[in-house]
Amino acid sequence: MLRIDDLVVRYGSAVAVDGISFEVGAGEMVALVGPNGAGKSTLINAISGLVAPHSGTVACEGRIAQVPEGRQMFADMSVEDNLLLGGWSIRNRDLGEVYDLLPDLAGMRKRKAGRLSGGQQQMVAVGRALMARPDLLAIDELSLGLAPLVVAELAEHLRFLNRERGTAVLLVEQEVTLAFDVCPRALVLEAGRIIAAGPSVELAQSETVRKAYFGDLAVAETMTGATAPATTEVSP
Amino acid sequence: MDRVNPRNVLVVVAAVAGCVAPFVMGDLTFLMRMLLAAIVVTGLSLLMGYAGQASLGQGAFVAVGAVTVAVGTTRWGLPPLLVLVAAPIVAGAFAALVGVPLLRLRGHYLAFGTLALLLMVQTAMSTLDFLGGAFGISGIPAFGVGGSVFTDQRPYVLLALGLLALVLFVTHRIVDSRFGRGIRALAGSETAAESAGVPVMRGKLVIFALSAMYAGLAGGLSAFFTPYVSPDSFPALESFTYVIMAVVGGLGTLWGGVVGAVLVSTLLQVLNLVSSQPQLPPTLGPILQYATYGGLLVVALLFMPGGIVPTVQSAAARAVSRRGGAGRT
Amino acid sequence: MTELVAYLISGIALGSSFALIGSGLVVVHRVTRVVNFAQGSVAIVGGMTSATLLNGLLPHGLGEIAAVVLCGVLGVLVGLLAIGRRGTPPLISLIVTLGASMLVSAAIIWLWGQDPVTPPGLEGSVTVLGAEVERQRLLVVAATGVAFAALTLFFSRSYLGKGLTASASNPFAARMVGIDVRKMGLLAFGLAGILGGLAGVLIAPSNPLSFYSDLPLVLSGFAAAVFGGLTSPLRTLFGGLGLGVAGQLTAGYLNGSYQTEMALLLMLVIMIIRSRALVQEEVK
Repeated sequence: MLRIDDLVVRYGSAVAVDGISFEVGAGEMVALVGPNGAGKSTLINAISGLVAPHSGTVACEGRIAQVPEGRQMFADMSVEDNLLLGGWSIRNRDLGEVYDLLPDLAGMRKRKAGRLSGGQQQMVAVGRALMARPDLLAIDELSLGLAPLVVAELAEHLRFLNRERGTAVLLVEQEVTLAFDVCPRALVLEAGRIIAAGPSVELAQSETVRKAYFGDLAVAETMTGATAPATTEVSP
Repeated sequence: MDRVNPRNVLVVVAAVAGCVAPFVMGDLTFLMRMLLAAIVVTGLSLLMGYAGQASLGQGAFVAVGAVTVAVGTTRWGLPPLLVLVAAPIVAGAFAALVGVPLLRLRGHYLAFGTLALLLMVQTAMSTLDFLGGAFGISGIPAFGVGGSVFTDQRPYVLLALGLLALVLFVTHRIVDSRFGRGIRALAGSETAAESAGVPVMRGKLVIFALSAMYAGLAGGLSAFFTPYVSPDSFPALESFTYVIMAVVGGLGTLWGGVVGAVLVSTLLQVLNLVSSQPQLPPTLGPILQYATYGGLLVVALLFMPGGIVPTVQSAAARAVSRRGGAGRT
Repeated sequence: MTELVAYLISGIALGSSFALIGSGLVVVHRVTRVVNFAQGSVAIVGGMTSATLLNGLLPHGLGEIAAVVLCGVLGVLVGLLAIGRRGTPPLISLIVTLGASMLVSAAIIWLWGQDPVTPPGLEGSVTVLGAEVERQRLLVVAATGVAFAALTLFFSRSYLGKGLTASASNPFAARMVGIDVRKMGLLAFGLAGILGGLAGVLIAPSNPLSFYSDLPLVLSGFAAAVFGGLTSPLRTLFGGLGLGVAGQLTAGYLNGSYQTEMALLLMLVIMIIRSRALVQEEVK
């Protein structure tokens, strides 16, 4: 349902996304992992139409809604207003559906979004995106700055949404373990290109992928005693 | 290879034109006004372009300079040369004084704050009899040094030309100094400048006071030229005109102020001549004036955001590089 | 005592007009970060248009409404100049609106000449707590109250108003959920035009307006808006009322010509005292 073809995004002379192609099927959950500055956020903003591509195409059958990095609440407005505004593009003002899917939101609907905890805000961000009745949910950094327990709960909500509503999910995530756990398929980005793709289980096993980028911790865990791997510096 | 820099040619042409004009033109009031505006706008362009702060009330400092001359000559009988030197100093000191609280404001707040300052200076002038009161101060003597006294317009224009050259020279030296390079970071981001070790507040205050000194100098000279100073001599519209000239010429460029002052003054003079034809309605003058001001601001900012000088410069640079590129292949 | 009541009421009436003009500045600034210098000129157009329309063309009520609507359109036009071109920094937009206000001044002189114009207002006066008060002044206060109530309801209850608030609160997120922030900016300019026009229509019967009034009007409005940090319409209302009352008391007990200076001085003091907070709000 989402098809990216040879997408290139530039900021001035810097190339942030350098010829990326992939597809996301209807109802599929795909993880997009990679180090800081690999071009993940740029890619997701280009998919949502917030950044204009230099060349290439983004084709989507259906609606995309984004859960942005840093939650991006309308901080001085109520949770309910935040959710209502999520439905702006399709003039959807029916909150019932979202409250059914994420019942926690109903309990805090009068509270100011800026006063909520990070996890609650992330939930509002997901609910706000759902108000657009999306066929694809593009999530930028689900776990950033949140406690593991909260993240696990959010991940459970995502699986539930995917199961119940058939919403496809494109999950951009630095936390590789979480990403591979939630999404059966994954793409590994580095310096604006896809360097590996496939089922998450296989990628998690692939030595080359791990070595290439998985962060010191993951590599150190499996390669205890070995010499430290050469990490590649990626400039944005 | 010895190539003549086209910019230097332009500067020489402008200087020659400036020196010849006083001897060939009949009434020099227009030329004098233009030169005075150029002095003020050079300072304003420095403030807006380098310190990134807009002043909508630059006329306040022109007024301080003019009042210094008016009070110094008529009330205290001081020699003209002394008060002319004092005018920029008093204006600069005044700016440094009010600048301490005022420059804590930025952006819109400072723009409105400076405008408020101008209106309050006007009120002070019209209420304090010492500063002239509602009737203003008249009878300011002609400028002169020692025995020689200025008896007609020409020496004033030549003096203004010389002072403009001095102001440009000082500006050039300051912009090229270490202080100038530091202050340039201000227009971009104050936080960045601060973290780079630029003393933000002091830097802004120095530029603010310097621009006020230029304004005070112009005000002082104008008080000798038009020997009458009243609150109405410094309407807010005139301060807006300085902003227009600065914007049209190009902010943060050495010659932007001069170019803006010359172009805008000339355009207004032409419009003035056109609209003062006897068969035309008397309201045409103000209509054309306001429409021109507004149109200039809107068009200049939207279509030439850098102003004329940078636009022409970059166009020239492009032309030169194109020629250079063609030569190489 | 009677004197005091008279000063208070005329101060509140005057302050109401400051608040209307100031809230227009706030509405625009919240969404676009631009201070609309043409706000005073738009108010003048409102007063003068109502004078023309009420001179035999339209009955009372309709004439005023038509003038206010026209000011809304004028506001959008100013907005198109100020934010129509993408990437214009707010301070440059301020100077563009200064240009726009001069263009409006040219139009005012062209259409209405240079002399002050005053439309007919409510006739007569009533006695409030022993003080003789013109009915027009009471109308100004009542209309301002209604306008602020409507404005508050619009921002907090209507979907469009929420879209405006959202654009002000977080432009990135607003764009993300599909709000056209630029269109919202133009809407804000239109709304500001309506508020400014309303102010002009209301004050012109007791204070004749000429093209020359734009500066005092926009400055008083800005002074009121400063109390609200350029972001809060409600605090702008209180700021406007405070300034109006302070001005009338100064005029009444000290000297009439210091009235504007009083407002300016208060504005400067507030701005400088709150400069740190204001800068933060600006950055946010």
